Amino acid sequence: MRKRAEADLEREIAHHLHELTAAYERQGYAPEEARRLASRTFGDAGQIKEEVRDEWWSAWLHSVWQDVAFGARTMRRAPAVTLAVVLSLALGIGANTAILSLMDVVLWRDLPVPSPKQLTLVHWQSHGDPQGLMDYQGGELRDTVKGTTTADHFSYRTFQALRDGLAGRASVAAFTFTDPVSLSYRGHPTVGVERPVSGEFFTVLQAHAGLGRFFTAADDRAGAPATAVLSHRFWDRALGANPAVLGQTILVNNAPCVIIGVVESAFSGLSPGDPVDIYVPLHNADWMDQIPGGLANDRFWGSAMVARRASGVTDAQLEPVMSTLFRATWDGHVMSAGTEPSIHLVPGSRGLSFLWSDYQRPLLVMGGLAGLLLIIACANIMNLLLARAAARQREIAMRLALGCSRTRLMRQLMTESGLLALAGGCASVVVGYATANLLGRFVDPYFQPIPISLDTWILGTAAAATGLALLAFGLFPAWRTAKVTDLSRYNGRAGRLLIVGQMGMSVVLVLAAVIFTRNLLSLRSVDPGFDPHNLIVFGMRPSTSGYTRARLVPFYHTVEQRLASTPGVAMMGIGQPRPLSPFLWGGAQVQLPTDTLLVRNYRVTPEFLRLLSPAVTGRIFTSAEVHDGARVAVISDDLARRLGGRDVLGHTLRFSNRPFGRNPIPLTIIGIVPSMASTSLVDWRPTVWLPIDTGEIAPEVTVAIRTLHAPLTVMPAIRQTMRAIDPDLPLIDLVTMEEQIAGGLQRERMFATLCNGFGVLALLLSIVGLYGVMSYQTSRRRGEIGIRLALGALPRNVAVMVLRDGVTLVVVGVLAGLPVVWLGARYAEKELTHMKALDPLSLSLATGVLLAAALAAIAIPALRASGIQPMEMLRRE
Amino acid sequence: MDLIQGTLDLLILGTVAQGPIHGYGIAQRILLLSREALQVRQGSLYPALHRLERQRLIKAEWRPSDSGPMAKYYVLTAAGRKRLQQDTAEWQRYAGAVALVLRF
Repeated sequence: MRKRAEADLEREIAHHLHELTAAYERQGYAPEEARRLASRTFGDAGQIKEEVRDEWWSAWLHSVWQDVAFGARTMRRAPAVTLAVVLSLALGIGANTAILSLMDVVLWRDLPVPSPKQLTLVHWQSHGDPQGLMDYQGGELRDTVKGTTTADHFSYRTFQALRDGLAGRASVAAFTFTDPVSLSYRGHPTVGVERPVSGEFFTVLQAHAGLGRFFTAADDRAGAPATAVLSHRFWDRALGANPAVLGQTILVNNAPCVIIGVVESAFSGLSPGDPVDIYVPLHNADWMDQIPGGLANDRFWGSAMVARRASGVTDAQLEPVMSTLFRATWDGHVMSAGTEPSIHLVPGSRGLSFLWSDYQRPLLVMGGLAGLLLIIACANIMNLLLARAAARQREIAMRLALGCSRTRLMRQLMTESGLLALAGGCASVVVGYATANLLGRFVDPYFQPIPISLDTWILGTAAAATGLALLAFGLFPAWRTAKVTDLSRYNGRAGRLLIVGQMGMSVVLVLAAVIFTRNLLSLRSVDPGFDPHNLIVFGMRPSTSGYTRARLVPFYHTVEQRLASTPGVAMMGIGQPRPLSPFLWGGAQVQLPTDTLLVRNYRVTPEFLRLLSPAVTGRIFTSAEVHDGARVAVISDDLARRLGGRDVLGHTLRFSNRPFGRNPIPLTIIGIVPSMASTSLVDWRPTVWLPIDTGEIAPEVTVAIRTLHAPLTVMPAIRQTMRAIDPDLPLIDLVTMEEQIAGGLQRERMFATLCNGFGVLALLLSIVGLYGVMSYQTSRRRGEIGIRLALGALPRNVAVMVLRDGVTLVVVGVLAGLPVVWLGARYAEKELTHMKALDPLSLSLATGVLLAAALAAIAIPALRASGIQPMEMLRRE
Repeated sequence: MDLIQGTLDLLILGTVAQGPIHGYGIAQRILLLSREALQVRQGSLYPALHRLERQRLIKAEWRPSDSGPMAKYYVLTAAGRKRLQQDTAEWQRYAGAVALVLRF
């Protein structure tokens, strides 16, 4: 284009010179002289060309400016359309950007360490529960499909064997799960999260120290001086990024540790949003004091492992070698043959697997729904612009007649779409940023909000989405407008087709909203097995605040006495663990006649059990029995059923492992209470209630308080009482039971909230689209309707005709959406804990809501059509 | 005589209105018709021609010239004709008004 213009200009100037020369020749000059004179008269050809090029530029700029100004004017003249389009875009693109950013962080992004692809997470896998190998476990254990158990924790001896046995092929580091601790630096107490790691941890991850040094093998052995490495975030926020902290002492659960280093700021830990504030050597892990023998106990499986493969080594080569090394470290045998675990390696480049394995499916579902929403938004915009293009037919015809070229017209229309897309795109970045932050917070209540920044990626996504949307809704109407003379006939069909598609996708989104909301509601109304109202819980860690064994018993006694007499308190009890807390600690194996069963075991005061479960068959142990350490147990009725019904009262309860650091002790069953939810509302597990050993140094005990009236009104008094007993003892997570339940439903709530948002938006967008198309069509049929009325049709008939027309569109759309619904439901089913995806009630609710809204949208044009005055119409024709 | 700012476009439109004509022809005809009073310099002629072409007031096509080689001939578009009418009327009102004032 440009090249041809240049060549033309060259030829044009050459021609001018030729004519000038000819003129001089006619005046009698010799050809040579004439050419010289001509070129002198003409002046500097290069200069002239330059000026012509400037003209081209400014003409182009001018026309673009004209397009933009004209587009802006058009937008201002139809503010409703403009607003609808910009909002559709902003919400559609914003939602997609947010979901994509979150997916990127959680599912796809590698850990910010060198060569993350070399990292691999070491798990074991077995068919069935490998009972007999361990007495204590700490870590993730999940039963996956077809009876396969996968877990991430090993004995420390296994770690040593793998570390030493794989030298040259892979380097291995151990760590354990995170644990909340109280931290105190120079008299400023705070709470934080600790992760015990082996001396190799930072070397294997190839993280760099921002300050000081990392652990070495010398720091991580029994009897080594206590040391600690701080996370950059903690150092920055809690210690003011003060470099002088190196070599200073920080109190971790009242035990002094020397700060030897700070991790570089880029290192985010083992997963995005890893909440770790402080790393300590594995041998220094506070909670391991609870386990007889600690790390040296080979039947304590509590170390997780991450390995870095040497280059050229594959997981498939490592697995059998590691399995052999693993087997050689077992202390004992599995109880049932065939349940022997073997090593299973999981890609570790993205960090700890549970985050992405837990969120992969939900996020993919969400991404799919957000994609549908964007398609609906684009269809809507296409509809709006098509309808407007039809309305502008006269204007466009006139401009074509006045010599406006078709390409110029296309450009004009594209510019208008571009302006809309630009406005929508800008708004969508804001929407996306806000949504992404919200989503990051939703992910997991036990994690730091996952930081999702407005980085180039999110911006790129928004730009790409905007570009696609621009093509989708800009080019098409522009092309049709410039090309088709009889636009009206065409537009009707396209608009109707778009509506059918939109309705089909809307039914998917509305159904998703209905299903996930019902799922959340049904979860909320699930009876946890105890009355969650008027119930307050909090935790305390007296042993980490300096209470010794001798001081603990009187301390608990004081707490019981003072709290029970606090106004508003009906009853209080002490026990552990906290009801409905997500951590399943230890886990006792109860011996059944032919099998064993993993149970949740609580160790409580009688009041703790009584305030949760007032109904009991048999009896609850007494305070005297707690004091004497009586070997009695209360069991849940589902465990009683497994053991043989009501007659188990007075029978003996045996454990097949050693959950309490002693040899299995037979206990006498004295009472049966109703079963209750254990780690969450969806996790019901047989329960054993034992008398608490108040002299034991427990990591954390829970105080449960039944209140006489609204729990929030009693909370201040409880705080005050506790402060009066010991002002330095922090109360951990003081909440009402209802708050705690709501917190545990975070994921379900995220689903329901997002789906609701999507559903409402989809509904709104489709209804606007439907209304637009229907009213455009009836306005085009005014003449026909006028004739019908003149020929004797009743207004009612006309309204019914329009209604039928619209309802047909909606019904066809909904039917078209059903296959997608069916497919989606099969995929989403696994996210539903308490519901079937496709039950008649949800389906009829969703279609009902959609139809009702659609009817409202169709009714307005239908009524308007029935109100047409035939005479007036005919006169106008 | 130098051209008054803004009159060149009008002169070109007026010249092109009389039939297809190339750049050299335009300059010659203006010179001739103004009895050599108005001399259009090539340095302003070509930028103006291209400006008017981009504004779609004139359009161009290549055809053999009287002297033989191909030349770029300009003709008026519908929009150009309309503009010429407007601008001529405007110019006449302006010139008339100036004359009225100066007659005094």
